[in-house]
Amino acid sequence: MNGARKVHLVRLAGVIMFVAGAASSASAQSGDAKRGEYLFAAGGCAGCHTDEKNGGQLIAGGRELKTPFGSFFGPNITADPKFGIGSWTDAEFIRALREGRRPDGAHYFPVFPYTSFTWMTDRDMVDLKAFIFSLPKSERPSRPHEIAFPFSLRFLQFGWKALFFREGPFQPDPAKSTQVNRGTYLVEALGHCAECHSPRNILGGIPGSMRFAGDPKAPGGGKVPNITPDRDTGIGKWSDGDIDELLASGMTPDGDSVGGEMGEVVRNSTSKLTPEDRKAMLAYLRQLVPVSHKVRGGS
Amino acid sequence: MKAIVRRALFVAGMGLVVIGASVGANAQAPAEIAQRQELMKANGGAMRTLTPMVRGEAPWNAQAAGQAAAKLQEDAVRAKALFPAGTGPDKGQTAALPAIWERKAEFDGMFDKQAQAAANLVRLASANDEAGFKAAFPAVGQTCGGCHTPFRKPN
Repeated sequence: MNGARKVHLVRLAGVIMFVAGAASSASAQSGDAKRGEYLFAAGGCAGCHTDEKNGGQLIAGGRELKTPFGSFFGPNITADPKFGIGSWTDAEFIRALREGRRPDGAHYFPVFPYTSFTWMTDRDMVDLKAFIFSLPKSERPSRPHEIAFPFSLRFLQFGWKALFFREGPFQPDPAKSTQVNRGTYLVEALGHCAECHSPRNILGGIPGSMRFAGDPKAPGGGKVPNITPDRDTGIGKWSDGDIDELLASGMTPDGDSVGGEMGEVVRNSTSKLTPEDRKAMLAYLRQLVPVSHKVRGGS
Repeated sequence: MKAIVRRALFVAGMGLVVIGASVGANAQAPAEIAQRQELMKANGGAMRTLTPMVRGEAPWNAQAAGQAAAKLQEDAVRAKALFPAGTGPDKGQTAALPAIWERKAEFDGMFDKQAQAAANLVRLASANDEAGFKAAFPAVGQTCGGCHTPFRKPN
């Protein structure tokens, strides 16, 4: 094959792929995948839906989350129609995040933080879906959860929701600044920070008064710090720079770099946010009610 | 005769038990655990020197930045030798996870990466390239966290 002809064929293939790509994205997606990419990072979706330890494909599922109720495995959420969520409509995707329900109507376990994602706007959900659908598909089957009876009964989630779930979306509070409202959205809806940074009661619910006060007995055996502005047991003594640096690079005021789950959160999520968004998160955290709750020996 | 032999064996046996017990009681955690903890603490100190400079909260000082970066580089090389087999959490108080010895080549590679990233900072500091140094600094933090995430037990 001569050079010119080869170039021509490569170009032709490129045009075909471009046309095919444009056609498929036009038919399957209504959201803005570019915006969705940022929301995907801010929401930290990759963390639970990727089996990173074993080199698993992005959001193809498999990561284990050990809880007092049993082991949960993040499912495959790639756009594969059979093994992932490729057959879902925008409305079904919105219902999953907003109401915590599968397309067949069954309830999710709150290990999937729909309790936080419910506060997202419809537009953000649709854009997020568009980005997820632009990622490579995977035919890896989702691993069933291993949950002890009676928690395994999904319909019981109906009662759990009545006790602990409030449905969104988020409505900005006109009494607060635009920055604090943006921070609320980033911390509460997308970042779902409270899910790990709060203790849970015997039913796995978060007592409202202890929100963000840290979890001394986190799943997996770790201790998740108190991030309320309490000076002795929270982050009240941290400077604005200290908090920003932790979110940006994972470095703590004593020069250590966070590892474990927060190391992942920094890498996948907070380090990818704009400086303005990190400042907004900081502004929201600063105006929380300080809760005195000692989680760790040191701070 | 038989009784004497038996008795001798008994005494010898007891002796072994006593020696064994005393070894057990004196069994010290491997020295590497304390050494690497000291080293990591010193690394934290170097990071604390650098971070305010990079954030613009402290004035740029090429000499101090270079020294701190050199400390990080040197420690990355030294640290690699401080995780021999048999210094895991079953041998003493350490946050080092068993994954280190299951994936030792990957783990060691992280120190190489850290040494390279720090060496780059040393070079930029000696050239008094403030902007270059600030741009290259996050790579060092990423190698710290990149290793702590899979290989260190969260506290």
